[in-house]
Amino acid sequence: MSTRNPLKDQIAIAGIGSTGFSRSSDVSGLELLVRASVEAIRDAGLTAADIDGVVVPGEPGGVNPGVLATALGLPRVTHFARPVPVAMFSMLDAVHAVHSGACDAALVAFPYLRLPWNSRSAANDPFRRHLAHGVQAVPESIAMAPAYAAWASRYLAEYGVDRDGFGLVAVNMRSNAARNPLAAITTPLTLDDYYAARMIREPLGMLDMDLPVDGADAFVVTRAVDAPDVGRPQVVVHAITTGLVTPNDEDQVPCLDRHSQHIVLDTLRAKSDFWIDDADVVCLYDGFTVITAGWIENLGWAPPGGTADFLREHWVAAEDRVLVGGRVQINPHGGSLSEGATRGSGHVREAVVQLRGEAEGRQTPDARTALVCTGGFFFNSQGLTLRRA
Amino acid sequence: MSTPTLTDADLVERYAPLTVDKDTADFYRGWAERELRIRHCTECGHTWLPFRPICPRCWSFAVDHVVVQGDGTVHLMMLLHQGPPAPGVDYTTGPYPVATVEFADHPGVRLTATIVDARPEDLVVGRAVSLTWFERNGMPHPAFRPTEVTR
Ligand SMILES: [Zn+2]
Repeated sequence: MSTRNPLKDQIAIAGIGSTGFSRSSDVSGLELLVRASVEAIRDAGLTAADIDGVVVPGEPGGVNPGVLATALGLPRVTHFARPVPVAMFSMLDAVHAVHSGACDAALVAFPYLRLPWNSRSAANDPFRRHLAHGVQAVPESIAMAPAYAAWASRYLAEYGVDRDGFGLVAVNMRSNAARNPLAAITTPLTLDDYYAARMIREPLGMLDMDLPVDGADAFVVTRAVDAPDVGRPQVVVHAITTGLVTPNDEDQVPCLDRHSQHIVLDTLRAKSDFWIDDADVVCLYDGFTVITAGWIENLGWAPPGGTADFLREHWVAAEDRVLVGGRVQINPHGGSLSEGATRGSGHVREAVVQLRGEAEGRQTPDARTALVCTGGFFFNSQGLTLRRA
Repeated sequence: MSTPTLTDADLVERYAPLTVDKDTADFYRGWAERELRIRHCTECGHTWLPFRPICPRCWSFAVDHVVVQGDGTVHLMMLLHQGPPAPGVDYTTGPYPVATVEFADHPGVRLTATIVDARPEDLVVGRAVSLTWFERNGMPHPAFRPTEVTR
């Protein structure tokens, strides 16, 4: 295992931009992408001429980096890439590109569109008809999203617990989203609402799944020494990694105690000078509630199967959400469950906002360190530690 | 069904939308003969799914298949209240069970399939099941049924 980390604290997330998220946008994916991109570049104090790296994940409905570069009129690009979806693949590509000298300032832009196969309103939108070419699946498979329902069944059976842990994750995200003006859904949620929600892939239902939305996030990545002084604290990448267990086929993964999250956490911990007990900001992926339970337990906050007890122990009834140790929020922005399904870019953005001290009504006082874990159990587990410079 | 005349093109077409390719053709030829095959390394004896051309344990390319008897235990259990369309699957009449079953004679090797002839209390992690077959598009597909146990 490589514990080397020559980029530690060298690379800054110098700019951020976001359109916010909704279930009713009628602008194109490209327009969302350029709106977030322009905001992020201006936020970094840079211009089109400064951006020489473009990274756009291969999201359904997204565009190639070349299209984004052309739309923005970037005069000269020396690094571009289209990594697979889920945030940290693209962030890591940009961080490595800047650290290696492939480019000086990388724009990382994440497009999200409701799609005909995950949104009824999107299915009725003629302008989204060209996005309908998903991979045709058969029911007798747990590949991709169904894997989380299948492994949730194992979680419940192996640990002999009910769905309260998953439900409290969902309630926490909704309560947090109410403090985030970018969030798509902010109506209060109770554990009873959670249990009453329609089953989709039993044992998981509607409220265990992230919320398909339209929107975009964008980031500008530079060397910390190159980032313009725009009069606020700089946020630097402390460590970043992905992790892959084998086998990682969804139905062959060894077990709940040995999957890709474990590889991410071993590696990230070895590369970082601080860990969970010293993290002021914690963002854990919640594309499905069971994924968040996995991160909570694999980080050592709770024993296997202990997410519900852990959340109850740290629950603040008056705010209907968790504050670990009375202070640390989990996904202050509301996560993918309630801010909207950003595949983790929202988690990275929120960590940056908190470390800058710009989170207003949801700001963690004096936030200096952040731990962000994105992705699930199989082939997209990732981790990031950030610190305020 | 005896299928000596089943061409590669027939196999690909009749099992669509499943991905039948150079690596998995032997697996699906097994299905056509109601035989559940798993990859087997002739050098070290390792067995695995899905079909891939190298033994992940010893890197031998001398791989063939063995036929599993098919008794196993439900490892993962999901009830689809909605899902991809398929002939014979009607989500409006009740959730469709999809189980990942670990084979008793090949620990760690699992197959995902539906469960037939099951009462609701059979559709749980840990239930003993046995291999059976059903037809879709005129071609055999594997399924599991609860193993008769002394109650
Ligand atoms: Zn071998």
